[in-house]
Amino acid sequence: MAELPKELAPLREVAKKVYEMKVGRLVVELEPGDLLRAVGSLLRSLGPESLYLSTLVATDLPQQGVIRLDYHLFVIPLRRIVVLRTSVPRGGPRIASLLKLLPGALSAECEVYDLLGVVFEGNPYLRRGFFVPVELAEKGVYPLRKDARV
Amino acid sequence: MGRVRIVEVPMALEIPVGPQHPALHEPLLIKLYVEGEEVVKAEVNTGYNHRGIEKLCERNTFYRDIFICGRVCGICNTVHANCYVRALEALLGMDPPPRAKYLRVLAMELERVHSHMLINAVMAEVLGYETLFMSIMRDREAVMKAKEILTGGRVLADYMMVGGVRRDIDEVKRDRLLKILDRVEERVRYYRRVFEDDPTIAKRLMGVGILTPRDIVSHSLIGPVARGSGVKIDVRFEDPYDAYPEIEPLRMVTRDEGDSWARMMVRWDETLVSIEVSRYVLEHLPQGNAVPDERRLPRRFPPGEAFTRAEAPRGELTYYVMSDGKPSPYRVKIRTPSFNNIINGAFAFVGAYIADAPVILVSFDPCISCMERVTVVDPESGAKKRLSLRELAVQGVM
Repeated sequence: MAELPKELAPLREVAKKVYEMKVGRLVVELEPGDLLRAVGSLLRSLGPESLYLSTLVATDLPQQGVIRLDYHLFVIPLRRIVVLRTSVPRGGPRIASLLKLLPGALSAECEVYDLLGVVFEGNPYLRRGFFVPVELAEKGVYPLRKDARV
Repeated sequence: MGRVRIVEVPMALEIPVGPQHPALHEPLLIKLYVEGEEVVKAEVNTGYNHRGIEKLCERNTFYRDIFICGRVCGICNTVHANCYVRALEALLGMDPPPRAKYLRVLAMELERVHSHMLINAVMAEVLGYETLFMSIMRDREAVMKAKEILTGGRVLADYMMVGGVRRDIDEVKRDRLLKILDRVEERVRYYRRVFEDDPTIAKRLMGVGILTPRDIVSHSLIGPVARGSGVKIDVRFEDPYDAYPEIEPLRMVTRDEGDSWARMMVRWDETLVSIEVSRYVLEHLPQGNAVPDERRLPRRFPPGEAFTRAEAPRGELTYYVMSDGKPSPYRVKIRTPSFNNIINGAFAFVGAYIADAPVILVSFDPCISCMERVTVVDPESGAKKRLSLRELAVQGVM
């Protein structure tokens, strides 16, 4: 288990597991319910101009019955990417939206909703059928799920 | 005694900008809601050119995906391929030879030069300076030629390969490239002076679309947009890759003004730095082989995951590649800089005049083909009371 640097001390309370991903990314696994707390405490301790949401990667893992969400945060004082990794169940995936803490989560959350169907509670801008063709969206197909035939 | 007639005057007018040619010749729709001359809300609608590249990558082999990723964007294709190839190298635990790392840097910096020249030319066109547009584009052609000499392709390079690059250069090509760089540098210095000194350009760009560092960071805006507001983020420095740690002339360009002019000036200065970097690479090219034997590259990728970043001309580009040991990747996630800058940056239009909207859009350097994997509506103006006026207008209450 990798060590969390002192700047990321607020994550110790919520971290279930800490390890590294290539290339040198720190991965912190946590419960989906702890996400807002984790990001909020980081923003409080490091300051509002200290981190931004670089990428949100959602991966469908049907064998484990979950959709994995990786929030890649770039922490500017650390000059390092920290990945907050959590999973939501495949049937009815829901998680709290980061929009209030980080408005930059908008594009990422809307994309993941349209492609994989994860509902971000508190994000009023989620809409289907923007770039997924209308006929697919009407059928309720989420193209990036592994069982989607597109 | 006449009839009583009720005239409904909407409080907010909706002006669609695009989807045909809003700034660049690419499809994007920006809906501006205006009261008088002032923009009170902006919505960015994309989705006109969605190609499903991430799903396509899951269906093709790791090696074919190098060429698919190179086609995400025409302007910045080598940086896409580079970011993906480095993720594959991370999975394989492979390190390319030093000469290949230098040549990769050269290809990506030439790309930055022509990309920055392109958007500055487009800005000149938006401002009404068509001759300046033509002039910059003519000089940009020399950089395209340089890219052709280096990679074999004027636009699409297909230059990156696991373990190196796909073509090497000899002394003759090196000298030709150096001559082109000298010529381009002189022209870029002239254009930079034009943008700095011309009073009309200053009036149209200065103070337009000001972004504060706090807004930049919270909205995940990146690249020259962030550096134009004094936010010091650049992947080449914070996450050095390929030969960047060894390049002496490399320096980060930032400005504090935060307006459209600052963003364009950051690009001109970065162009000059990129030319210096390219020259340094050509003069310090290590000896050795840069081109791997593609028939001997490993066919199987071990299970694992890698997340790589690169500084594309428009900002941070990220690739996430996950392998489960099969011939194709399990998941490829591409996050392009325009995806953040254009969709999350819609708040910059609020409060601006209609005539400034094209300037602000161009100063963000929108790359629609990069971004075109999602569609969204602006989040920001909800905080303003003006939104309710717009809602009233839409609901027909007013």
